[in-house]
Amino acid sequence: MFAGVNSSQPVQNTTHKVVIPFYAYAAVSLFAACFLMLISAGSFTGHYFNPHVLAITHIMALGWGTMIILGAGYQLIPVLIEKSLYSIKLAYWSFFLAAAGIPFLAYGFYYFDMGWPAKWGGRLILIAVLLFVINLAKSIQKSKKGNVHAWFMLAASGWLFITAFYGLVLVYNFTFPIYERNPVDLIPLHAHTGIVGWFLLLVIGVGSKLIPMFMISKYTNNKLLWLIFLLINTALLLFILLYIFNVGSAIFLLPVSMILISLMLFASYCYKSYKQRIRKQVDGQMKISLLSVLMMLVPVAVIFLLIGFFVSGKENLRVVLLYGFVIFFGWITAIIFGMTFKTLPFIIWNKVYGKIAGLGKTPNPKELYSEKLFKVMSLSYLSGFVTFIAGILTIERVVLTIGASLLLTAAFLYCVNAGKVLLHQNPFQNDERNNQ
Amino acid sequence: MTNVITNNNLKCTIALAALQNVIDPEIGISVVDLGLIYQIDFSEADKKVFVRMTLTTQFCPMGESLTGAVKRAIEQTFTGEEIFVELTFDPPWNHERISEEGKQFLNR
Repeated sequence: MFAGVNSSQPVQNTTHKVVIPFYAYAAVSLFAACFLMLISAGSFTGHYFNPHVLAITHIMALGWGTMIILGAGYQLIPVLIEKSLYSIKLAYWSFFLAAAGIPFLAYGFYYFDMGWPAKWGGRLILIAVLLFVINLAKSIQKSKKGNVHAWFMLAASGWLFITAFYGLVLVYNFTFPIYERNPVDLIPLHAHTGIVGWFLLLVIGVGSKLIPMFMISKYTNNKLLWLIFLLINTALLLFILLYIFNVGSAIFLLPVSMILISLMLFASYCYKSYKQRIRKQVDGQMKISLLSVLMMLVPVAVIFLLIGFFVSGKENLRVVLLYGFVIFFGWITAIIFGMTFKTLPFIIWNKVYGKIAGLGKTPNPKELYSEKLFKVMSLSYLSGFVTFIAGILTIERVVLTIGASLLLTAAFLYCVNAGKVLLHQNPFQNDERNNQ
Repeated sequence: MTNVITNNNLKCTIALAALQNVIDPEIGISVVDLGLIYQIDFSEADKKVFVRMTLTTQFCPMGESLTGAVKRAIEQTFTGEEIFVELTFDPPWNHERISEEGKQFLNR
């Protein structure tokens, strides 16, 4: 008999109520970004520093990538750090502030109004990020020391704050010049603290826990994860220093090589997890997530090409556009497509069937979305991705428009399928209501 | 059953049969085959059933659903008895607890 046991002990997980709005917002943002890309396809034939490209990039980075990661993060923080989330209220506030700030910032960029819309957008986003950092840090304070996944998340959120803060400084720089340098020269710092510091660290920190977990893998290697953590952070700090002190282009190969090594180490971590998995069947969502790990290597290959151009004294605008595109529409979008339909159905299943599980047959979480729609979406996405790349390289507006149309179709199908999951209700409950 | 500690083999077999219907929605096998059930004890005098179980990972988002489902499935089988479910992570779950049937399912 158990001593002192008098009831079932609830597991303190984050409520679905705070997580769902992030997923819904991200889906709408993806659709908005693809729609703007379709009507502004011509903007991708010119310089990357133009209002439409900046607006689309920020909707993708903040509205799509960051919002869904924050939402999934609030759900997964307890799993990763093995402690409950510090504050649900802070999580709600981070949503409201970011949700209000992103459209202002996007509007500011699209019409290049760096006055109050962009400034207020930036301020609201910065406060939202600060709340996320506080919430995460306070949650981690209670967790076991030396949890590598917690460190990945904490460092990533710190870099996100730096990115948002520096972004706001850049917005101010348009009206109150702070830097003497050309604004275009300041973008790489802002972009890479966001891409490497925020997205890459977070994806590796979370992926290194979830990929083996979903495949029930026997493989664990915390030492390797610590090495990856050190390599990425050192490479990013080195990149910042080299950039600030305006050292020659060739030396940038050093931090880029460090990132490449860390990506290869992470790819080998995923491969070993895959090889040592107990669950032999790998579903479509896991396949697309594993594919996105390989897609991480594409931007690194492109940046080697970029450095080559810089060293030879030629700036290739096509390759810069391609670099941004493969990151936001390739790697980040692929991982979110895979992980949405791996996590969202469970969140909704828990909400709808959690209290009646065990009393009879309930649908499988996988039945909450359409597998067929997911396949059509994946096909449309991959063909749109490849076509748009062809459009960027050939500077053909028609090709860009076709690519954007396919991506918009994929975004629409994603919204329909995510909406199907979000609006799912217990069918038996409806029958009971009708009978009453 | 060899993995589950009990003070009443017959009742435990009935309870485990009932728990075969409690499926982990992510993995697709029952909590029994997954090896999540550590102990089921019965108190004849007090009409109480004590279940000690674990989760594949601490703070598993499905944790509350699974412990609730285990409680409800046992309640349906042993009507009139009070059910207590305790969640433990000592020892933590590992893949060696998966039954042969469970391994066969995952190997498909």
